[in-house]
Amino acid sequence: MIRRLAALLAALATTPALASTTAPAPLPPPYTAAYQPQGVDEIGLWKEMDEDERVLASSPILIRDEALNAYVRGVLCATVGAARCKAARIYILRTPLFNASMAPNGTMRVFSGLLLRVRSEAELGAVLGHEFGHFEQRHSLAAFKARRSGTDILSWGAVLAGMLPYAQGAYNFQTMQISVYGRLARFSRDQERDADLHGIGYLNGSTLRPQSAAMAWRNVMTEAERAAAARGQAHPRFDRVPYLASHPCDAERAETMAALAIPDGVGRDDGAARYAAALAPWLPQFLDDQIKLNNFGASDYLIGMLGEHGATASLWVARGDLYRARGYPRDLVSAAEFYANAIALDATLPGAQRGLGLSLLKTGRRTEGIEALRRYLQLEPTAPDAAMIGMLIATAGPGQ
Amino acid sequence: MTMTTIRNATLALVATAALLGSVPAIAHGYREQGKAVAVAASPLTVTPNRDWNQLSGKPGKKAEAWTLDGEQLDQVTFYGGIAPGEPLLREHDKKGKPLPKLTREMLLAEVPELLEATYRTDRAIASFTLLDARPERFLGTDGIRFAYEYVDGDELPRRGEAHAALVKGLLYMATLDAPRLHYFDQVAPAYRALVESATLR
Repeated sequence: MIRRLAALLAALATTPALASTTAPAPLPPPYTAAYQPQGVDEIGLWKEMDEDERVLASSPILIRDEALNAYVRGVLCATVGAARCKAARIYILRTPLFNASMAPNGTMRVFSGLLLRVRSEAELGAVLGHEFGHFEQRHSLAAFKARRSGTDILSWGAVLAGMLPYAQGAYNFQTMQISVYGRLARFSRDQERDADLHGIGYLNGSTLRPQSAAMAWRNVMTEAERAAAARGQAHPRFDRVPYLASHPCDAERAETMAALAIPDGVGRDDGAARYAAALAPWLPQFLDDQIKLNNFGASDYLIGMLGEHGATASLWVARGDLYRARGYPRDLVSAAEFYANAIALDATLPGAQRGLGLSLLKTGRRTEGIEALRRYLQLEPTAPDAAMIGMLIATAGPGQ
Repeated sequence: MTMTTIRNATLALVATAALLGSVPAIAHGYREQGKAVAVAASPLTVTPNRDWNQLSGKPGKKAEAWTLDGEQLDQVTFYGGIAPGEPLLREHDKKGKPLPKLTREMLLAEVPELLEATYRTDRAIASFTLLDARPERFLGTDGIRFAYEYVDGDELPRRGEAHAALVKGLLYMATLDAPRLHYFDQVAPAYRALVESATLR
C-alpha cells in the first residue's frame, strides 16, 4: 500500500503539461492490431465493456442506416488509418448531445448531436480521432487505477485520522480529500490533452485538413455564447478551469489544436461537400431533435450555420418551429413569415402548412390560418393529429 | 434540574415532535378506491376505481404522481392548473436547461408539442413520436386526448397517453407513462377510469 501511495504521489507530481507544447502533433507510431487486455484490471474492464456492448447492439436508439454507418466509419478510417480503424466498432446513437466516446474494448459511440454540429469530414475526424487517442493510449485503465489509488489513500487516511487523539486529524483529512480529488480531476484533464494531441496527430498524418479541429471547438463556443445570450445570461467563460473540471477549458483546446496542426495541412480538402451530401438524408431529423430541446439561441445558431450557403425549405420550417415554440407574439409573426418562405420554396411540405396555420390562428389571422390548416390535411390526411386539427378548423371559423 | 436543562429538554421535545410530525408529509401516500381526492393541490379531483399509490416528491410545483407497480413501470401524473409562463415539471437546471413554458396563446392542439418538448429537454432524449391526437371531453369541457411513444434515458421504449383541457387559461392534464411492453396495456384501463372520474371542484 505504502509503495503504491508513494508511486501515485510521484506520478501526480510529474504529470506532464501537454498543453504548453506548440510544435505540430507528431504523426502516429506504427500500430499493433488486435491488442488483448493484460492483467486482472484490464481484463475485468474489457469484460464489463463487452457486456455494455452487447446491450448497446440492441439499443432502440441505435441508428442502423447502413449508408450512414459506412460513411462515419470511412471518416474514422481516413483519419486514423486503415489498420487502426479495424479496432473500432462504431455505434451511432440518436442522442441530441455534442459527444462521442470510445470504450477500452473498441466500442465507439457517436451521438447524432455531434453529427448535426460538425460541418466537414475533417471536423468529425478530429472528434473521432480524439476518442481513438483515448483508446490507443488506454486512458480508461490508467484513470481507473488512478481513481482506485486515490480512494485507497482516502480510505486509509480516514482510518488514520480517526485514530488521532486531536481534532486537527479531521481537518488534515479534509485537506487531503480536496487534494486527492483535485489531482484526479487534473489527471483527467491531462488525459484529454493527450487525446487532443493524438487526435491532431492522426489528422496531420491523414489527407484531411487538421486546422478544422480548432474550428469545431470555436463553433461549440459560439453556440454556447448564443444559447446564453438568448436566455439573457452572462457571457460564458471559456478560459477558466474549475478545480474539479474533467476537461481543459474550450478556449485552451481550440488554441492548442490550432497550434498542433501542421501548417502545410491548411491547403488540404476538409471534405465539407462530401459530409453535407452524406448527412443530407438525416439532417432534417437531427435538426428537429435539436429544435425541440428548448434551447433557442443554440438552435437558431445551428440553423444559421446549416443555411450558410442558402436556406432550404426544411431549414425555414425548422426556424418556424423554433420561433413558434418560444411563442412570444413577435415570434409568432416571425414564424408565420418563415413558414411562408418554406412554402414559397416547396408548397408540398405538410409541416410548413401546419405551422403556418397555427401561427396565423394565434396572431388573429383566422381565415388564412384555416386555409393553411386545410392544405395541411389535404397534404397529409393520415397525420397523427388530423382529428385534432380537423376540430380546430371546425371551431375556429371566422367570426368566432 | 436547572432552568437551562428544562429549556433544552423542551426544545429537544419540540424538535422531535416537529420531525415526527413531518414524516407523513415525506412518505408515499395511499389513495383508496371510491374516495374522491383533490390532486396536485388544485381543484382537479379524481375518484379512483381501485387503490393507487401516491408518490412523494412532486415531479413539478403543480404536479402529482401516482403509480400501481412503481414509477419505473407505470406512472400517472396529474398537472393541476399550469398557468402561462410556468413549466410542467420542476426545472432541475434552471440556468443550463430551462424547460419550455406554457404560453398564453398556446392552442389545445399544441399541448402535445409542449409535453414533447418538456420530455425531450428534461431527459435529453431525441426519440419521441406523437402517435395520435384527437378531441375528447375532459373535465366536462372540450379537451384533447393524445398518445405518444418515446425511448427514455434508460433506453426502455415507453408509451404514453394524455388527456388535457384548458380551463380559464390554465392547463389541466393527466398522463400515463409506462413501458410499451406489457405494462402500458395493463395499466391503461385503470388510468382511463381515473380520467373519466376527473372533475374540477
